Amino acid sequence: MKLLVELQKYEQVDADGLILALKDFSAQSPATYTKEEIKVIIDKNKDKEIFVSINKNIFNKELDNLKEQLLYLDKLNIKGIFFYDLAILQLKKELNLKTDLIWNQTYMVNNYRTCNYYYSKGVKYALLSKEITLEEILEINYLSKITPMVEVLSMPSVAFSKRSLVSNYYKDLNKDPKKEITVTEKLTNQKYMLIEDKDGTNFFLKRITNGTIVIKDLFEAKIPYIIMREYGITSELFREIIIDTKEYIKGNCQDKDYLTKYQKLGDDTNFFFKKTIYRVRKNG
Amino acid sequence: MDRIELLSPAGDLERLKVTLLYGADAVYIGGEKYSLRANATNFTLENIKDACIFAHKLNKKVYLTLNIVFHNEDMDGVDDYIKDVVDAGIDAFIVSDPFIISHIKENYPQVEVHLSTQNSTSNYKAIEYFQSEGVDRVVLAREVSLMDAKEMIEKTGIDIEMFIHGAMCTCFSGRCALSNYVTNRDANRGGCAQVCRFAFKTDLEKDFTMATKDLNLACYIGDMIDAGIKSLKVEGRMRSLYYLATVIGTYREIIDSYYNNTLTDEEMKILEYRLSRVANREVSTQYLMKEADYKDQYYSGRQELSNQDYLGLITGYDYENDCLIMVERNYFKAGDKIEFFTPTGKVYSYVVDKIYDEDMNLLEVARHPEQVLKLKFPEELPVYSMARLVTYEG
Repeated sequence: MKLLVELQKYEQVDADGLILALKDFSAQSPATYTKEEIKVIIDKNKDKEIFVSINKNIFNKELDNLKEQLLYLDKLNIKGIFFYDLAILQLKKELNLKTDLIWNQTYMVNNYRTCNYYYSKGVKYALLSKEITLEEILEINYLSKITPMVEVLSMPSVAFSKRSLVSNYYKDLNKDPKKEITVTEKLTNQKYMLIEDKDGTNFFLKRITNGTIVIKDLFEAKIPYIIMREYGITSELFREIIIDTKEYIKGNCQDKDYLTKYQKLGDDTNFFFKKTIYRVRKNG
Repeated sequence: MDRIELLSPAGDLERLKVTLLYGADAVYIGGEKYSLRANATNFTLENIKDACIFAHKLNKKVYLTLNIVFHNEDMDGVDDYIKDVVDAGIDAFIVSDPFIISHIKENYPQVEVHLSTQNSTSNYKAIEYFQSEGVDRVVLAREVSLMDAKEMIEKTGIDIEMFIHGAMCTCFSGRCALSNYVTNRDANRGGCAQVCRFAFKTDLEKDFTMATKDLNLACYIGDMIDAGIKSLKVEGRMRSLYYLATVIGTYREIIDSYYNNTLTDEEMKILEYRLSRVANREVSTQYLMKEADYKDQYYSGRQELSNQDYLGLITGYDYENDCLIMVERNYFKAGDKIEFFTPTGKVYSYVVDKIYDEDMNLLEVARHPEQVLKLKFPEELPVYSMARLVTYEG
C-alpha cells in the first residue's frame, strides 16, 4: 500500500507520492502549481509517484489552454491525472495521451459498476468518494477491476460553487472583501471553512477526518493507495504522520501504538462507518 | 425546422395531465426509485404507463429521471427497472451515470438518453465524450451561458436542453455534499435537504447566507430559440397544479407568440407579471448572459414570498343553475376582479357578483379552502380550468 499526500505548500516529504493541483484547473486544493513548477518538482522527486489534479469544471474558453497543459504534462513522468470533467477523458482519446487517469468526480465515485465502466474506457484508477462506507469501499475493491484510492485523512471538501459567496457576503456588510470565512451551521454547531478563488467558492468541513483506524482494513483488502491531505493540520504534525504511517504500513499495520498516538486527531471517521439516508418519508 | 420543446416537471399523474394540457410538449417525471426527488410523490410503473398513454395520445413525450448517483446497493434491480420502464412506453431517460447510459444504449437503442444536469456539463469536449457514448441530448449545467451553449451546438450538433425557470442550486449540481454532512441526507441520491438555503453563524454581525434567487428567462426565450436550443426546461417536480398551469401556460404563450411574430412589449409585460405572481422568490437570469454576481443571491435567511392569487380549480358545470363548480383555494369576495384561465389558452375576465355554496346557498365571502363553490357563468369551461385574482393594473 502506498501513501500519497497533498501538501499545503510543496516541500520534500517521505510519502510515496505527491498530488499536485494544476494552477487554473483545479478546485478544492489549498495549493496549486504551474506546469513548469510541476516539472521542477518531478525532477526533484524521481523516487516518488507524482499525480496531478485537474479537477475543476471546465468551460469552453478554457479548452485550448487545457489541451496545451495536457500535452505538456504528458511529456513529464507523471503517474496519473485526477480528473473531474469528462473533457479530459475525451482529450486523452483525441490527443492519444499516455498518462493514466484517475476518475475523481468527488461525490460520484460510489459503485463498482461505474468504476468498471471507466476502467473499460481506459481509466486506470478511481479515487473513491469520502461519503461512502468502508463496507462499500471494500465491495468496490472486490468487484471492480479499477485501481482504487481511498482518502483517509483530510479536512473534507464538501462543496464547490461557481459563485463568489465570500466576497459577496463582505460586500453586503459593506466591509473590505476577504476570500476566506468560517461559518457555523446552527443546529449541529459544526464549522465550515469557505475559501474563494477566481473559479468560485470551495467548502471544507472544519474538522479532520481521522481514518487511521481503517488503514489496516484497507491494507488487508490490498487497496493499493491511501491519500492524506495536509490542509487543516500543522506542517510539523503532518510530516510526523507521514513518517509514522509509512512505518505502520511497513509493519503490516500491526502497531497498535500508531492508532493510540493518532487518537489525538479526533474520532471523526466521516462516513466510513455511517451510512447516509435519502428517503425520509414514504411515497403517498 | 422543429419548434423548440417546452419541457415541464410533473410530480404526479394529475399534474402531468394539467401541464400537458396547458401547453408542455414533454414532461419529466420521477419513478419510485433512482430519482433525485426521493421524498416527492413519485410515479409507480402503472402511473408511468398511464402517463405515456396520455401523453402519446396528444403526440407529446414523457421522460423519466434516473439520475441519482448510484451506490453499490442501488445497482441491485436497476436493470429490471429500466426494462419495466421501457415496456411502459417511456420516450427518454434522464441519466447522470455513464454506466447506466451505456447499459440503456446497449439494450434499448430505441430509447433516448438525456444527460442530466447532475453531471454539470459545461464544455463541448465533455459533450463530444457523451455523444460518442450515444447520449442524444445534454441538459447543460446551470452555470453555462447562452453564448457557450450556442458554441456547443455549433461544434457538436447535439440537442441541448437548458433550464429557463425555477429554483437554482448554489453549487455545481452533483458537486455538493453539504446535505450529507449537515443532515446525513444524501444529496446525490435524492435526499437533498437544501442546506444552501440555511443561515449560518459567523463572527460578524450578520448571518452568512448563500441561497440563490430563482431563475426566470422569459425575456430571453427568443434568443434561446435563435441560438438553436432544443428544449426549455422548467424546474419543479414538487410544484402545484396552479403553478404548473400558470408557468407552462405563460411560456407556451411566449414561445408561440415569438414564432408567430406577434409578441409585443405590452403582452410580454403582462406575461412576466403573470409569472411573477406565482413566484415564491425573487428572480434573476443567473448565468445566461453574464456571470452570476452579487445581485443573484440572498443575504437574509427569509426568502420565500407567497401570494393568494389562486382562487380555485374549476371541477364542473351546474347546468340547472348555469354555474361553474369550483373548489376554493384562497379567499375572495363579491366585487373582486378575477380571471378564469383554461388549458386552451383562452382567458375569461369576470367580476365576482354572487358566491354560492354547492347547495346554492348565498355566501358573503369565500373563506374556506377546499369548499365547493358555484359562480354564475354562461358556459362550461374545459377540465382543469382555474380561477385567479386579477391584480395587474397595466
